Amino acid sequence: MGSMVEFFQHLMNGLTLGGIYALIALGYTMVYGILKFINFAHGDVLMVGSYIGLFVYNFIRGEVLGAWSILAFFLSMLVGMVFSALLGMTIEKVAYKPLRKATRLAPLLSAIGISFILSNLAAWFWGTKSRKLEYPFDNSPLYIGEVSITPHQILILAVVVVMMVSLKLFVDKTRIGKAMRATSLDQDTAKLMGIRVDRVISITFAIGSALAATAGILIALEIKVYPSMGTMTGLKAFVAAVVGGIGSISGAMVGGILLGLLETFGVALLGIPYGLRDTIAFVVLIIILLLKPEGILGKAEKEKV
Amino acid sequence: MLNFMLLILIYTGIYALMAMGQNVITGYVGLLSLTQAGFLAIGSYTTAILSVTYGWNFWLTIPVAGLLAAAFGVLIGLPTLRLKGDYLAIATLGFGEIVRNILNNWDSVTKGPMGIQKIPMVKVFGYQLSPYSKWGFLALVWVFVIVGYVLFDRLAKSRMGRALEAIREDEIAASSMGINTTKYKVWAFALGAFSAGVAGSLQAVFTLSVTPGSFTFMVSIMVLCMVVLGGMGNFKAVVLGAFLIQFISYFPQLVGLSNVIPPQFKQVLFGLILVVMMIWRPQGILGREIRGYKPSKEKGGKR
Amino acid sequence: MKKVLAAFMIVFLIGSTALFAAGAAESPSVVKLGFIGPMTGDYANYGKLISRGAALAIAEKNATGGIGGKVKIELVIEDSEGDQQKGIAAIEKLAGSDKIVGLVGPVFTGVSFVVGERVQNEGITMVTPSGTHKDITAIGNYVFRTVASDGLQGEVAGAYFYEVLGVRNLAMLYVKNDYSQGLAEGVKASFEKLGGKVTIMETAQSGDKDFKTQLTKIRAANPDAIYIPNYVAEMAQILEQASQLGIKAKFLSGDGFSNPEILELAGAFTEGIVFTGPAKSAESDATKNFIANYTKANGFAPDSFATNAYDGAALLILAMEKVYKETGKLDRAAIRDAFAATKDYVGASGTINFAPNGDLVAAQGVYRVENKAFKYIGTYVISNGKLAEVK
Repeated sequence: MGSMVEFFQHLMNGLTLGGIYALIALGYTMVYGILKFINFAHGDVLMVGSYIGLFVYNFIRGEVLGAWSILAFFLSMLVGMVFSALLGMTIEKVAYKPLRKATRLAPLLSAIGISFILSNLAAWFWGTKSRKLEYPFDNSPLYIGEVSITPHQILILAVVVVMMVSLKLFVDKTRIGKAMRATSLDQDTAKLMGIRVDRVISITFAIGSALAATAGILIALEIKVYPSMGTMTGLKAFVAAVVGGIGSISGAMVGGILLGLLETFGVALLGIPYGLRDTIAFVVLIIILLLKPEGILGKAEKEKV
Repeated sequence: MLNFMLLILIYTGIYALMAMGQNVITGYVGLLSLTQAGFLAIGSYTTAILSVTYGWNFWLTIPVAGLLAAAFGVLIGLPTLRLKGDYLAIATLGFGEIVRNILNNWDSVTKGPMGIQKIPMVKVFGYQLSPYSKWGFLALVWVFVIVGYVLFDRLAKSRMGRALEAIREDEIAASSMGINTTKYKVWAFALGAFSAGVAGSLQAVFTLSVTPGSFTFMVSIMVLCMVVLGGMGNFKAVVLGAFLIQFISYFPQLVGLSNVIPPQFKQVLFGLILVVMMIWRPQGILGREIRGYKPSKEKGGKR
Repeated sequence: MKKVLAAFMIVFLIGSTALFAAGAAESPSVVKLGFIGPMTGDYANYGKLISRGAALAIAEKNATGGIGGKVKIELVIEDSEGDQQKGIAAIEKLAGSDKIVGLVGPVFTGVSFVVGERVQNEGITMVTPSGTHKDITAIGNYVFRTVASDGLQGEVAGAYFYEVLGVRNLAMLYVKNDYSQGLAEGVKASFEKLGGKVTIMETAQSGDKDFKTQLTKIRAANPDAIYIPNYVAEMAQILEQASQLGIKAKFLSGDGFSNPEILELAGAFTEGIVFTGPAKSAESDATKNFIANYTKANGFAPDSFATNAYDGAALLILAMEKVYKETGKLDRAAIRDAFAATKDYVGASGTINFAPNGDLVAAQGVYRVENKAFKYIGTYVISNGKLAEVK
């Protein structure tokens, strides 16, 4: 095996890792774009959605075989998404809404609290054991020359693109998308214009959380389902969202892929020790925030007085 | 039973030092930093490495531990303090993880995941303070807490304390009043880190061993809970918060119910504390200490 | 007003604690053993799995009426979260409030170090089922283990890989935690002493799920075999991703692989993997009964650490029984001496003896996965620096 093979394999690994980050980053960016607030519990909503998807899939899968298991899989994903959407809306109502007028610190602390509650309740009731979500399709690798790629990796990249495009269309073209953009610009003015801001925020959370569940169930195929599955990956996905330009939907994709590539090539070729692999994300975050705080594709925004 | 109570008080003391540091950063300046675990680790490892590898006396390692933590505080403070609140939280959280990763991987210095064992016990005037006889150690820790409290309280009443509060209330207004906000923020970070570094040093000589596993994100969250529960901006309150959180933490063991109460229960409770306090009592149990800046008591303005 | 309220709260809390504690006074017909392990956090599953081993030994004794037919044994489980400070609190509570006479655990090396110092000071016999670092038993004469030290397991494993499997170029991929790193270093030393070459040694962090970068590098190095001495969740990821990358080299592992969960998580990717673990006394009833009873009681099968915990608890109980018979009391120091005097005990994990320093003296077993089951290959020891099979 030549080193070219190794290089392209790393490239492929980096791209698909980045795809995972991008997938989660979409949900983060959505909520942050509207509310200007990091939903620390996003990774935990992702985890709960994955558990629900897993339970439903294991329940309905039974003896279903062949192409039908893919259908069962997407059905389970749908249930997971609906459940997560409801969970996200509830969390917003209970823990964030009362704090909308409080200091900036308050919702952040509340979100950390929610994240802690969810992950520990999951560990309490479902145990900390990793659970396997069976592939609904044959995941044997395909080879391009000697470089391997799995159908699952292709699926993730495809879903990212589809999700990105449809989200963008949704926000840009639909009425509710317009209301979201208005809310994001100025909540009070939006209210005066007759936009039901509370409802818009609720919907934003529902969509963000459903996106989290989709991402969770897709990545669970590879990384399994366990209570802390959303924590570190979620954090890095957030970094990806910031790097790409938070609030920008295409930015989430760019940031995610970039981070995946940097992490892979950083340790594979630049000789950064593996122990510092997680460090790369945070260093990139600090550098981006200092040099271009609005991110690669973000819109610059003046701080309001 | 009594011994266990004393143990809780010792841990309370160590965490109270961290919580007071966090209070400067979060309670006074209003910045959400999630790095106390990282600074605690730096303090612990400084004492462990200096006393085990280089044979230093504990009393010499403790200022080094504090100063080194403070130096790292400045180091990460300078770039990150220009970030907005939420970004700062993520960046500082990242820093905590970086510290742990480095400790876990720098085998030649930190012994990697195995950690450092056989840290020598503290000697006070030739008298050996063993962690097995709790009273002596308790006194040692609380001397530090009291000294820390007095110093922090003085600080809060000083020009700097007022400047920090002004930054929290309105950073732009503060800077237009001529307050060098970056300088004060970095100072606050350094002080918070120093305090945690000293706490780490004490923890190392109590545990007599350090491993990277002790410095997880959980530690930072606990410290944050202490500040929020007690009351942001009030040093007495955060010490109370430290006690209450440690007490809740060890309550199942204290009453002999650890077989009955599920182990995740207290973590869920910590989460609930954060949410509930934010919604119903954001000022904490005791609330912020309001200082009437009476000119008769303190000659305000110039010092 | 607020301060009064706060003061009142504290008084109330302390008062209620005292009341609870008074209510929980112990009755003289019960003696307690302790267990310390991670019951929360990412490794909580190990705490659960292992504690059930100790619990089974105790339940079996209690079913016969307890020590001397009348003193029931109670197992008190404390959570360490894998954290040293919590570990200290746990042993403090077990020693002070529960007055335990023996301890099974802690599960992790780091916690074992600090708890070891404390039990040595208190005079409580401690037996760790999974703390493999060579220095743990050096703490003192009250510290024992029913798990092979890294050195012992690594020595046999390295020699087996070189001499029996004929591996010459070995790659390693281990996670930076005490357990995995200890084994990796142990095998490396033994393997290289025989003339083998560890061509590439890659690491990962606890909690990592993506090992493709390391595996891609390993693939390029083209080794004969890849040694992965990690915990189950990580090994399952490694095996699956290795197959995705088309890696054909043979995988080798250590006793962490003995957890049947791996078969469920990694399925067909486990086929043919060779790993070292506890030696079985050729198809002994002790082993068979243990696995059957454990699975029946818990609904899941034990791994080798749970087996070690079962043996550790059973040995503590034997020592207690002996001391109780001779003196009518359960003196901690006497229990330690009786425990240390264990000779050729046939447990679920094979024949057990202790070295003077408290280390387990045992042969190592070699296993291979065949048709989603662990097949026992043979029992090996190092005698006079050479690998020898025990028949």
